[in-house]
Amino acid sequence: MSFLENLKTSQKTCIVQDGRRKIHFIFKDKTELAEEYDLKTDVLLVRKWKKSGRLGGEGKWQFEVGEDLSPGSSLTEGLMESSTNPVFVRKDGKDVFQWRIRNLPYPLETYNVTVDNEQRTAIIRTTNKKYYKKFTIDDLDRHNLPLEQERIVLSHSNNTLIIKYKKPTEILQHEKCMQDEFKKMKDGDVGCNPS
Amino acid sequence: MAASAAQKVQEIREVTRIERIGAHSHIRGLGLDDALDARNVSQGMVGQVTARRAAGIILEMIKDGKIAGRACLIAGQPGTGKTAIAMGMAQALGQDTPFTAMAGSEIFSLEMSKTEALTQAFRKSIGVRIKEETEIIEGEVVEIQIDRPAAGTGAKVGKLTLKTTEMETIYDLGQKMIESLTKEKVQAGDIITIDKATGKITRLGRSFTRARDYDAMGPQTKFVQCPEGELQKRKEVVHTVSLHEIDVINSRTQGFLALFSGDTGEIKSEVREQINAKVAEWREEGKAEIVPGVLFIDEVHMLDIECFSYLNRALETDMAPVLIMATNRGITRIRGTNYQSPHGIPIDLLDRLLIIATTPYEEKEVKQILKIRCEEEDVEMSDDALTVLTRIGMETSLRYSIQIITSANLVCRKRKGAEVNVDDIKRVYALFLDESRSTQFLKEYQQEFMFNELGGDKEEMDVS
Repeated sequence: MSFLENLKTSQKTCIVQDGRRKIHFIFKDKTELAEEYDLKTDVLLVRKWKKSGRLGGEGKWQFEVGEDLSPGSSLTEGLMESSTNPVFVRKDGKDVFQWRIRNLPYPLETYNVTVDNEQRTAIIRTTNKKYYKKFTIDDLDRHNLPLEQERIVLSHSNNTLIIKYKKPTEILQHEKCMQDEFKKMKDGDVGCNPS
Repeated sequence: MAASAAQKVQEIREVTRIERIGAHSHIRGLGLDDALDARNVSQGMVGQVTARRAAGIILEMIKDGKIAGRACLIAGQPGTGKTAIAMGMAQALGQDTPFTAMAGSEIFSLEMSKTEALTQAFRKSIGVRIKEETEIIEGEVVEIQIDRPAAGTGAKVGKLTLKTTEMETIYDLGQKMIESLTKEKVQAGDIITIDKATGKITRLGRSFTRARDYDAMGPQTKFVQCPEGELQKRKEVVHTVSLHEIDVINSRTQGFLALFSGDTGEIKSEVREQINAKVAEWREEGKAEIVPGVLFIDEVHMLDIECFSYLNRALETDMAPVLIMATNRGITRIRGTNYQSPHGIPIDLLDRLLIIATTPYEEKEVKQILKIRCEEEDVEMSDDALTVLTRIGMETSLRYSIQIITSANLVCRKRKGAEVNVDDIKRVYALFLDESRSTQFLKEYQQEFMFNELGGDKEEMDVS
C-alpha cells in the first residue's frame, strides 16, 4: 500500500493552536504520526512518529522534522551527549528540505555532502574527521524518488551548517494537495471524541 | 592523605567483591562429569551422589527444552542440601535459561491472589528469545576525564571523548557510568561499545594505533581496528525476556517502569491471552524462540490445597516450565484440609512428580563441606579445630556448625590470632546454644518463663 493510501485510510484529528495547525494520524498498524504546520506560511514545523516497540507497550516519539523541546527526563545517571556536540535538526522551508547542524565551528570548505542512491542516504563528511552523519530523506523514500546530488546547497554561518535540498515537483504537488485537504478539515474534527 | 588512602581501599573492595556471601554462594554447579556421574567433591557440591545424578538427568531434560510441565520434588531432612542442589541446577543452566526461585510462603500476599502469584512465577520462568534492535555506541576512547569533587564526597562528574575514523563526540558521564567505566578499567586507546538502553560497557580491545605504546599490557591484550562511520549504530541483538516481562510492558501505559519498582499488581487474563497469541505468531514466523526455564519452589508444603490443584492444571499447558519443588516434611497435613499426605502434597499431584531423596551427610562429607565454607568465607582454620567442628556438626546440625565458622573467626581476630583454633571454637560453642541444648535448657527452666502458670497442657503446636 502506498503512503498516500495509508494517509487516506488513517484516522485523523486536527486542531488549531498557538498559530499552528496540528494534525494527528493513527494508521491501521497503530503507528501514530503528528504534524504541525504554520498557519500563515503552511510550512511544516514538526513531524514526529510513534511506533510501539517490538515487545509492545508505548513507544517514544521520533522526530523527523523539528526537535524535541520538551524538558525530557535526562538520565543523570547514565551517558549523555555533551551540549557542546553538534545538534542535527531538520527544519523545512517552503520549497526546500533543510537541515541545520548547530555547534559546528569549522569553515564551509571542511564539509562535504554526498548522496548514496543505493542505500538511499545522504552522508556528511568533514575533512578534519570531527563530524560524520548518515541521514535519510524520508519524503523522497515515501514517493520513491531518487536522491539527486545537484539539488544540494551548503552554507555556513553562526556556527551552523545549513544543508538545503530543493524539493522535486512531485513533492511540491503532493504538499499542496495535502494542504488543500487540511483546510477542508474543521477544527477539532474527525473522530475526536470530546471527553 | 590517610582519608584518601582509605577511600581508595574502599573503592578496590567495591570493584572486587560485589556479591555478599550467602548460604549457598559456594555452589558453582552440580559437579557432574560428562557421563552425568557425580564427582564426590566438585563445584562446591559434596556427597548426595544419587540425588545429584538424578538432578543431572532432569537438567538434561530441561536443556533439551522439548518437554513442558514436568515436575520433580526434592525431599529430605533439613540441612541435607536440597536447596543446594536446586542452586547447582540453576548455575549449571547458565545465564540464558530463566530460573525463578521462590519460597512456598511468598505467594501469600494481601495485594495479589495466590493463583495470580503462581501464574506470575510460572511466566517468569518461560523465556522468549527474540531479536531486537538496539542503539549502541562503538568507538575508540580518546580521553576519559573524571572530576572528583573537592570535598571528597558527592557526585562525580566526568567527560568521555570517543571517536571513529570519521568523527569525534564528547559525552557527559553520570555517576553510574563512571562506576562501570572504572570497573571495566577503560582507558584512552581502548575500543569500547556501550549499549544505550542498558548502559552496559564491553571492551573490545586496544586500538592498533596504540600498539607501539610501551604500556604494561598483558599477553592477552587484543588489538582491534578503530571503528568506521558513525559512532551511534543500530544493531540487532538477540536477548531473552520472560513472558512476565512482556506481560508487564503491555499491561499499562507507563509499562516497563513498573518492572523496576516491582509494583506490577495483577495482570488481566486478556492481556496474557493476547501475549500468548503474539508469541505463538512470532514463533511460527521464526522471529522468536521459546526457552522453557525452571521454577523452583522451596518449602512447598507451605502451599495450600488450592495452589496444589492450580499446579495440577497449570502443569498441563504447553507453556509450562519444569517445576522443581523441595520439602523437608514427612507425612503431614495438607494445608487447607484435614487430610494427611506424604510431604503434605496431595496424592494426585505426587503422582505426577519424580521424587529425588536426599540423605543425611556422613562425617567426612560434613568435614568437606565445612572446609569449603571456610574457603568461601576466607577463614583460616587449624586441622584440630576443623575436626572438633565436624564433631559438633555431626552431633548438632550442619547449619549450626557453619554458623560457628563466622563467629569463631571473629573471636580469633579479636585475640589477633592467625588461624581459628580449638579454643575459639569452644568459646563460641559455649556462647551460642544449638537447638538441642536450647531445648534441654528450656525443659529444665520452663517453670521460670512467662505464662507458664497457665499450665502447658497443650503439647502440640499447630505448625502447618
